[in-house]
Amino acid sequence: MTHDEIQSLVFAALELTNQSREDDAQVPISPETALFGKQGHLDSMGLVALLIDIEDMLLDQDIQVSLSDERAMSAANSPFKNVSSLVEHIDKLLSGE
Amino acid sequence: MQQILVTGASRGLGLSMVEHLLAQGNIVFGCARGQSAFSHKNYHHFEADVSNEEDVSNLFIQIRKSFKYIDVLINNAGVARMNAFALTPFKNMRETIDVNYAGTFMCCQKAISLLRKSANPRIINMSTVAVPMNLEGEAAYAASKSAVESLTRVLAKELSSFNITCNAIGPSPIATDLIRGVGEEKIARLVKQQAIQKMAQPEDVLNLIDFFIKPQSKMITGQIIYLGGIS
Repeated sequence: MTHDEIQSLVFAALELTNQSREDDAQVPISPETALFGKQGHLDSMGLVALLIDIEDMLLDQDIQVSLSDERAMSAANSPFKNVSSLVEHIDKLLSGE
Repeated sequence: MQQILVTGASRGLGLSMVEHLLAQGNIVFGCARGQSAFSHKNYHHFEADVSNEEDVSNLFIQIRKSFKYIDVLINNAGVARMNAFALTPFKNMRETIDVNYAGTFMCCQKAISLLRKSANPRIINMSTVAVPMNLEGEAAYAASKSAVESLTRVLAKELSSFNITCNAIGPSPIATDLIRGVGEEKIARLVKQQAIQKMAQPEDVLNLIDFFIKPQSKMITGQIIYLGGIS
């Protein structure tokens, strides 16, 4: 998958997230959107739900990957900080880095 | 009609659950370490060892591919080796924890995405009266189920935002393979400590499963219900 395809997939997952959120709690669909942590739009269960949705969408394309592996959870710079760091994280996982 | 996964489905209580749920018109997925001699048009058997992460992953991937979602996960797979604590081989303790606790943990985790697609998602775990009774000779077994009880309570909180309820059933002694190795005298002594001094039947467990699965039970979560009046 290309970087752009991964980003589109994350955007699609965020749109799913927004479907179950109130109008005043919508998550902006943008690479700069803060996801988790300081000023993040998601609480821990919101992040879990987003990651599950992304893993699900990847499985639809026969790609099996765990986004919350040990490395991700202990990384000094959380890959879940914002959309672009999440896209980067997925890109690395898929290319086996 | 619901889609229900029962682990440890090839015999004993698990097989009773499968037959009961099929009789209600549900689609049932069963898994066990080996094949199952049981067959039914709405029964789908998978070979998986719940203590093996790869097996568990493959199990859920296969169900997802063919059936999209599940409504209910029943973590029934379990092992019990009664042994005095001082004589319990480390390997047996490890296996007990791996199947009873780690197996339940992994199945719950992998099931989340399939359960989220259900209108009434449920997780039902299996505990035992050996936990509140602190039974001698069951150090590994009771500890593994105690961990299942903690897991049940924590998941009730963590998964409530997905509308998934998580409860556990603690059967008192039932004549199944699991307690085949326990002496009759010990069982009789145990039953005498219950408020209802009778052996339980598989139907008593099935009744609780029906209760937890009901859409009306949406406010029941994090509960451990013991049979026989043990508390």
